Amino acid sequence: MKKTRSAIDNQTTNTETDLIPLNQVDETDAAALAEVGVIVDARQRSGTYIQRDHKPLCIMAQNEGLELLPIAQALEMYPWVRENYYWNLVSPNQDEITQHCAAQKVPQGFFIRVKKGVKIDKPCQASLYMAHTNITQAIHNIIILEEGAELHLITGCVSQHQVHTGLHYAVSEHYIGKHATLTSTMIHSWGPEVIVRPHAGTSVEEGGTFVNNYVSLRPAGDILSRPTTWLNGKGASAKYFTVILGSKGSEITTGGDVYLNAEGTSAEIAHRGVCTGGHLNQEGLLIGNAPCRAHVDCAGMLVDPGVDGYIESIPGLRATHPDARMSHEASIGKIAPEEVEYLQSRGIEEREAISMIIRGFLDADIEGLGPELDARIAEIAELAGHGE
Amino acid sequence: MSTLLEVRDLHVEVAGEEILHGVDLTIPEGEVHALFGPNGSGKTSLMMTIMGFSGYEITQGAVLFDGKDITDLDVTERARLGIGVAQQRPPTITGVQLHQVLDYAVDNGLCPREHLQELLAQARLDDFLTRDINGGLSGGEIRRSEILQLMVTQPRFAMMDEPDSGVDVEAMKLVGQMLNELFSLETSHPAKRRTGLIITHTGQILNYIQADKGHVMMRGELACSGNPRLIFDTACTSGYEICVQCINGVEV
Ligand SMILES: Nc1ncnc2c1ncn2[C@@H]1O[C@H](COP(=O)(O)OP(=O)(O)O)[C@@H](O)[C@H]1O
Ligand SMILES: [Mg+2]
Repeated sequence: MKKTRSAIDNQTTNTETDLIPLNQVDETDAAALAEVGVIVDARQRSGTYIQRDHKPLCIMAQNEGLELLPIAQALEMYPWVRENYYWNLVSPNQDEITQHCAAQKVPQGFFIRVKKGVKIDKPCQASLYMAHTNITQAIHNIIILEEGAELHLITGCVSQHQVHTGLHYAVSEHYIGKHATLTSTMIHSWGPEVIVRPHAGTSVEEGGTFVNNYVSLRPAGDILSRPTTWLNGKGASAKYFTVILGSKGSEITTGGDVYLNAEGTSAEIAHRGVCTGGHLNQEGLLIGNAPCRAHVDCAGMLVDPGVDGYIESIPGLRATHPDARMSHEASIGKIAPEEVEYLQSRGIEEREAISMIIRGFLDADIEGLGPELDARIAEIAELAGHGE
Repeated sequence: MSTLLEVRDLHVEVAGEEILHGVDLTIPEGEVHALFGPNGSGKTSLMMTIMGFSGYEITQGAVLFDGKDITDLDVTERARLGIGVAQQRPPTITGVQLHQVLDYAVDNGLCPREHLQELLAQARLDDFLTRDINGGLSGGEIRRSEILQLMVTQPRFAMMDEPDSGVDVEAMKLVGQMLNELFSLETSHPAKRRTGLIITHTGQILNYIQADKGHVMMRGELACSGNPRLIFDTACTSGYEICVQCINGVEV
């Protein structure tokens, strides 16, 4: 801890001076970013925030009504951010990660606001990018969608391929106003020994929608993610969709709590995990405090788990209101040989057949996910072929 | 005509138990054979073994295709040599849709896209393209989907398992039509058609498609071979046990 803290203290506040336009991001960086859905073609995105190691590298917002700032600047400009939003959904004293983030002199991360009634059609992208080894990124993001606003945010977190170790701490607070819709797609691709600790809190008002896609392609050694969402307004809804491709030595827990606090709220948690070694824990607790509907579904596929690999699924339900209708299901299995051979009997190669089945199992039709997912599936299919 | 499929003294184990006890079967190119026999006699196991499905372990004997020993080839390799199957109970594959298999065939030049459209309309399967393959289909729909996949992948040798069971009269007509097309005469000299093996224990399919020869499977052995109509009519009137005795008696 000591070492990382001093690294942060040495940082300067020159956020503005070093910024470059999106099309000047160098090739190595651009390639790493593309893996996680962050692209250098500004025409396909409504806004961009890229943080490289500790510093913002590129910040642009093309749309009227979309505001995108470094969090430090937003705190200076708008006193109400600190008063009403900063550390409002996540407690700075929750654990050592939040304490670490709260202790920074100059907070890192971004602030996004979509103004009332503004629907942003192209995705906005943000990247927290590790270009050097042994770095601690401590991020604090705030996203506010005012009444009736819509935004798809793609957050790509990636370390350059030679980066094996590092720490990524992230606090995110999302405020979804009445009838607003936030689709947050987070794509992670980390080095094998990076430790990842996201802490997200989301509040959703009446008629608002929160869609949270989380995809981990090249999993870090250690990920623990338990976001919390409060559905506070009538008819608010949340959907978590998590896709984890595990690998040897990784320890990954993804879950999250959703509080259904108002009439007509609904929530759905869906986990898809493929284990090729390492430990994969699928969690998720739905808490029905009002007449609501909720469902949690965990599905795991063991492809080549090795000696100590596993998937553990613990879908959870808690109902405090008699009109809470809640259900869960969980299944873990392997790739069925008769399914692979069925496709083979049509002339399809074994590897391709396995890829088709894994792709079908993951059912991840997520905007922003590029060929990288297919590439990873092909790698896993290769392992499955050898595992026969 | 030359032999397309030759099964020699085939012994097959399923789950550690011998199911086929030395089957010999020869199908010349251009002929369609019918395979009769009571439930549990080993018909499906023979078909699955010829296609190369795991779980059907050959402990003795060989399968030859077009003169080549294919006993050690995997399913894909056999399919690419021109062997195809329509299964009776194909697996549902969650998340994999019918069109993916059909597109694969089109992309590999096995069937022109326009022809696929015609076949789909004929088989009334347009609505199933984007559904999970075999997911929640009725008996008739499975037959149509399986035969359609054969029509699209165009195997030299097409096998099908009980195309006439679990299908109502109306659906049977359509299945019959499709099979007729699959095994239609090609304009060539001498006239020839696709080679095939049709498993049927009800024999209904014989009203739609002419078989050149029939075989009866009994307890894992081919008990007799001959005129398909004759064999089947005898089986219908007296049952398979008697049928086999009778014909064996005649032959001895
Ligand atoms: N997967 C299996 N496990 C155990 N026994 C099987 C399996 N498949 C088939 N059998 C057995 O093999 C024999 C032949 O079955 P099958 O080939 O399906 O016969 P048919 O198609 O003529 O009805 C039957 O006794 C059946 O119970
Ligand atoms: Mg059978």
